Amino acid sequence: MNAAELSRRDQMLLHCAPIQDEQVNDRALRTAVHHARKTAAFTTQQNFDKAASALVQAIPIPKEIIEWVPTEAFIAPPRRTWKKYVQNPVFLATGIAALVIAVIVVFQLVDRLNRFPGEVTARRLLTTASSTHSMILDPVKTNAGALGDYFFMKHRLAHYDVPPEFADLKTLGLRVFDDEEGQRVAQVWVVEKKMQFFLFPAVRDPKTGATKYFNGWRYVDQDRWTGVVKEEGGVCFMAAIRGSEKDLAPYVSKKKE
Amino acid sequence: MLADAAKAQEVFHATLREAAQQAADGEAPRDRLWFFRNARWRCLEAGEKGLQAEDVDLDQGELAEWAPSQIQKLEPEQFAIWIAAAPDPQRTSLALFYLNEFSYRDLLSVTELKPPELSKLLGNGRREFQAWLDATFPVSQI
Repeated sequence: MNAAELSRRDQMLLHCAPIQDEQVNDRALRTAVHHARKTAAFTTQQNFDKAASALVQAIPIPKEIIEWVPTEAFIAPPRRTWKKYVQNPVFLATGIAALVIAVIVVFQLVDRLNRFPGEVTARRLLTTASSTHSMILDPVKTNAGALGDYFFMKHRLAHYDVPPEFADLKTLGLRVFDDEEGQRVAQVWVVEKKMQFFLFPAVRDPKTGATKYFNGWRYVDQDRWTGVVKEEGGVCFMAAIRGSEKDLAPYVSKKKE
Repeated sequence: MLADAAKAQEVFHATLREAAQQAADGEAPRDRLWFFRNARWRCLEAGEKGLQAEDVDLDQGELAEWAPSQIQKLEPEQFAIWIAAAPDPQRTSLALFYLNEFSYRDLLSVTELKPPELSKLLGNGRREFQAWLDATFPVSQI
């Protein structure tokens, strides 16, 4: 390469090129030196600088000064700041990888914390909710809170009670059916916001038959439908709505006795 | 920087004394280039007290392949006097550059110059020195 072919920036940097390669610690300068390494002009400059530097090295340093400051300790090596470490591609790549892993772990953890026994059934029922029309339900107009007795008396479903948070809502209709696993499911259509309630048996331990309990309300979503589920007395109650958690949150945050 | 060993030694001791004083006060300089910055300003201060070089535009010559042979004929003191006569910040730039101890970033930091400024000063310095070498040791004498 001819010196004239070098970019203006490279030509500018080359005037400052240190005599020793080890001192080229700037990326742009290193690139410029790499580009110019085979040019005659740069070779002449390097030879010129080496000769001039050798002359400077020949200047005697008084003995007492050398005693105070040994020549090899003239300049302390630069401290590596955290910025330098961050800019190092190895640390950068490792940092990004660690960050991605941390995000995945947190995501998995949050996902696991949100899981609850009966989540699979709840999701399946949300699909049912999205495809059900009120036409197939038996018309029953009452307060949702009164349905517990109705389910027990008519269908012998014990503890199929609507929690107090939703007990005041007016119903339009309901039905009781067996789902894919043969579980008795009660579905209730409510006037407010076209909400639907589902009551279904809580998951049981296959060995002991004991109910798998969980505390409080748990959210679940499927195909733009969101449900909020609570377990009580071995029965899960789910209020389902076409929307997001925000639409259900006001109901479950209400304190009712 | 001064082309005078005695003055240089005075600057060295004064700088060392200040560093020791600061360390004794519990404020040891944290900047690794503090010593050089301090010595530089002391040198410039000391240089102003002596004879001043005339501010003239020197001739410039293209760097020659035979420049190393010309430089070898010089005494170190001659080169020191030539650098000490240069106006600052060119003087500081050349002195620090040919000490061959500083990285590019260190040079920019101590001279407090921007890259294009340092580049221009070093480039011009080389060509002026080449012109002076050509005048002192003509090619025919090499």
